[in-house]
Amino acid sequence: MSQLHLSDEILMAFADGELDEPVAAAVAKAMVDSPGIAKRVVDFQQSRRLTRSAFANGSASPVPPELYAAVSAQIRAFEATNRQAAEPRFREARSPRFGRGSPYLNVALAASVAAIAVATGYFAGRQSAWDNDSLIAQLDHPLIRSELSRVASGRDVELPDGRMRVISTYRLQDGSLCREFRLQASSGAANAIACHQGRWNVALAVTSPANDAGYIPSDGTDLTATYLQNAGAGEPLVEDAEAKALAEAAR
Amino acid sequence: MPAAIGHELVALLPRLRRFALVLCRSQPLADDLVQGACERALANAGSWTPGTRFDAWMFRILRNHWIDHLRRTKAEGMTEDVATQTQLIGDPGEGPILSKLVLSEVQQAIESLPQEQREVLVLVCAEDLSYREAADVLNVPIGTVMSRLARARKRLVELTAAA
Repeated sequence: MSQLHLSDEILMAFADGELDEPVAAAVAKAMVDSPGIAKRVVDFQQSRRLTRSAFANGSASPVPPELYAAVSAQIRAFEATNRQAAEPRFREARSPRFGRGSPYLNVALAASVAAIAVATGYFAGRQSAWDNDSLIAQLDHPLIRSELSRVASGRDVELPDGRMRVISTYRLQDGSLCREFRLQASSGAANAIACHQGRWNVALAVTSPANDAGYIPSDGTDLTATYLQNAGAGEPLVEDAEAKALAEAAR
Repeated sequence: MPAAIGHELVALLPRLRRFALVLCRSQPLADDLVQGACERALANAGSWTPGTRFDAWMFRILRNHWIDHLRRTKAEGMTEDVATQTQLIGDPGEGPILSKLVLSEVQQAIESLPQEQREVLVLVCAEDLSYREAADVLNVPIGTVMSRLARARKRLVELTAAA
């Protein structure tokens, strides 16, 4: 009979009931033959019990009423939105006129329009304080566009004038691929979302002066999050899914 | 339908908080994280496949939300090492809520594990996810789940036997 190597992983999987039958039978036999192996299996069962009881009896304080209230309010809001939006959104989804071209038309909810408007106001209101135009122009730099097609989320890239970090990648409801990123340049900092339609176009940007370096006010990330959510961004694409989507977009 | 997941969401809140606390080790931050994850889940309710585990789906959303949070808030120069980042977040100054709780020997031993071992330990041994389900939540291969989990559990037995 061939030798079965009983690694910790195999013995643990046996203890957890995760082994296929032929291997499980071999482990069961080995346990009978060797008290050492039986002990290792028992230890794995024991560690599961310990963990379970530690979490059942300890650390968790009761859910605070505020959290219940906040989540219940979210649920009510989404139920209401869904009832209202179900009809028109369904029609839009089937209409090719809305499916291509401008991604904004597909952003059905009023809240997303508000998000873009607020961002614009943000530019306008603080324009005099720093060279905002050049920062916005920089977001559209060919180098940034090529990095957006290439870099995995979470990575920093050094650029001639600053540093960019891609935060996450999303597929919107209309199928377009968008990436959230941050640019830290001498002229200021920006949180932006770029979407790919033939090339990367900046869809939304929230900027702040250079002396805020390293710090993006929370309303900036709230705006980008709101935008993504209202544009029907699902969960972020990660690893293989992200790499695949980027490769497709680059074609 | 959001209406359907709304009910399950509320029922899952205590366990979501528990997992969030394992991730970020700060109760106020954990509550924010849970709230944000619920919002995401509601917005993406259509991507949950009925018949699959709702809790595993939520744990994944919660954890992705946490990773996003780290990416957004970390100072420049962040590396991809999520495990290290999480340790830093839990450092004093963030208000280590857990120190206020009476921790049993086992809880202390679990606390002492590296982040990547703690999260897999909780998902499999406290939340009863299968290895496959945990791998999906953590977005790692099943072999990685098994090696981290085995290391965590051996360490736990050592720590609690020695004490």
